[in-house]
Amino acid sequence: MKRRVRIAGIGASHPGFRILRRGSLARAVQAGRRCLADARRRPADVGLLIHAGVTRDHHVCEPANAAYIQHRLGINVEFHGARTLSFDLGNGGCGMLDAAHILCTLLQEGNVRAGMVTASEGNADWRGKGKPPCPDSGAAVLLELSPRPGTGFGSFAFHTCSEHADMATTVVSLAEPRGRLLTRRDPGLEGRWLEMAGPVVDDALRRDGLNRDQVGRVIPAQISPGFLARLPGAIGIPAGRVCDFSADLPDTLSTSVFLALEREWRLRPPAAGQAILLLAFGSGLTAAAATYHA
Amino acid sequence: MNGARKIRIESLGAYLPGKVLTMEELLSSCRRRPPWDLERITGIRERRVAVGEYAIDLAVQAADRALALSRHGAADLDAVICASISKHNGEDEFHLEPAGAGRIAAAIGAHGARSFDVVNACAGMMTGIHVLRGLIRAGEARCGMVVAGEHNLPVTRTAARELRHRFDGQMAALTLGDGGAAVILDAAPAPAGGFHHMELVTGARHDHYCYSRPSRRGAGGILVTRAHGLQRKGNEHFPAYLKEILDRTGWTLEDVDHIIPHQVSVRGIENSARAVERYLGSPLPPVVRISADLYANTSTTSHFLALHRFILDGTIRSGDNLLFVSGASGIVISHATYTFDDLPGRYRTMWGKEGRP
Repeated sequence: MKRRVRIAGIGASHPGFRILRRGSLARAVQAGRRCLADARRRPADVGLLIHAGVTRDHHVCEPANAAYIQHRLGINVEFHGARTLSFDLGNGGCGMLDAAHILCTLLQEGNVRAGMVTASEGNADWRGKGKPPCPDSGAAVLLELSPRPGTGFGSFAFHTCSEHADMATTVVSLAEPRGRLLTRRDPGLEGRWLEMAGPVVDDALRRDGLNRDQVGRVIPAQISPGFLARLPGAIGIPAGRVCDFSADLPDTLSTSVFLALEREWRLRPPAAGQAILLLAFGSGLTAAAATYHA
Repeated sequence: MNGARKIRIESLGAYLPGKVLTMEELLSSCRRRPPWDLERITGIRERRVAVGEYAIDLAVQAADRALALSRHGAADLDAVICASISKHNGEDEFHLEPAGAGRIAAAIGAHGARSFDVVNACAGMMTGIHVLRGLIRAGEARCGMVVAGEHNLPVTRTAARELRHRFDGQMAALTLGDGGAAVILDAAPAPAGGFHHMELVTGARHDHYCYSRPSRRGAGGILVTRAHGLQRKGNEHFPAYLKEILDRTGWTLEDVDHIIPHQVSVRGIENSARAVERYLGSPLPPVVRISADLYANTSTTSHFLALHRFILDGTIRSGDNLLFVSGASGIVISHATYTFDDLPGRYRTMWGKEGRP
């Protein structure tokens, strides 16, 4: 039986008022530093770094943003000595769960001993002329094989509904100097995500052999207050077990689930053995669910 | 990882757009023609360019071709990973979301496949293979596709417009070409074939040698490269990794039938080969396969377009041992050792009559 992969540390750079522009890279680095401190690990311990943010400073598309983050965090930046691979993974709001799943498989294969998943968002437009898809934020988690059996990620499920892919798009227009961010969200988007929520939760729970009564907390992406009000009905889990921080934590796209998880664990540390359900929604359209055993 | 299940390239698909753009035609289109003889310096004579097609179209064409050759149908694919850098999927548009992989999966009918993008500069397809290999070994997927479509022409056109002097950082954008490539991976039925070892590493201290972003002077995207520094730094480090992966596989250079490098340019590859020779203290056998003279640098797809060319002309055959070598901005160094099964024979049978796809 495979050893589970646990979250050894979590770091957040929450959205909020800033006098100085921070940008996507600075947010990821801040979250990464906090994550390493939370896990009590050195940068050199990170063998794999996956970045799952959507927007990038100055709309740079090469090299991978993960390489810049690796450099700024001082993670094995030279070729000699300990080694790190870093790359970007793109899947909109579900990217961090995708990256966490990939990292789990590579950890269980023995390819690396510890890895980090980061995501961050920032309005990369020159003088902020474009409409940002979400406020600036960053999140990071450090994953490693769990020393205790039973603790860690249980299962992952990803459902895509490609016929509605055009309901959520983010494009950089290159028609003008420095590029311009163009974000489109269809008004019916939240309804489609709610339709996808029930089946993806079923899938994740079935894979992990859980039923809904065994789920202690649900940590969803903080899409909107209206969305979170309807989510418990869509997934068949009472509202009291679904975390809703939407009053002061807006939707932050790729970072949303792990920002909510960080806040939940800071406010209410999980009881040992508690089953947690992580839920993300993104373009594609994609819904993702993961079970985690604290 | 010697005991782990081996993963093989079950099918290969390549797509080259029909229009040929020679180096002379490209240089003639530059607002300020560079004083260098770029054809002599790079060894690139021509490249294919997509007109009326975007990156996603090139990827879908390659994916369809890979499926046509595969024993698996689109419905069998558990994962589709898109590794394109150039997400130019509309006129003057660079697409950040949704993931290109989802659109490709939908276009080829892989409706049940999980899809996401992996971006790691020119090492993108190798990184995608590394990720999919992990998913298959972990039992999370039975088979899947790694695909990329590179529409680099918009970046080349910006360089042709904006080049100002002989040492302009955009000069390397004149070495790019367009193309699509796809591979379908599954578990190797026999332990002799498939990927033996893969090693990818990022030396992030050197992330400044090459970058791509929108132009600050006008429309379009740009690629800025400090080519000499990038090559010098790569040559300083990659030969040691090459030797290491050969040792781990239990091969010597004599066991390698073909070295498939990232096709940065003919002269760039020859330069890197000399760096390996200096490191090993012995000459390389004549096994380095170069397709950059005809296809130029097609970014992530370049290894697989080289496979396409050298399988079709009979150079690469079933049972041959390959060493993939890649350098990419970041700087990412990647190597893989691989033994072909019957794919070269099947590929020639299917596409040999048509010549160039």
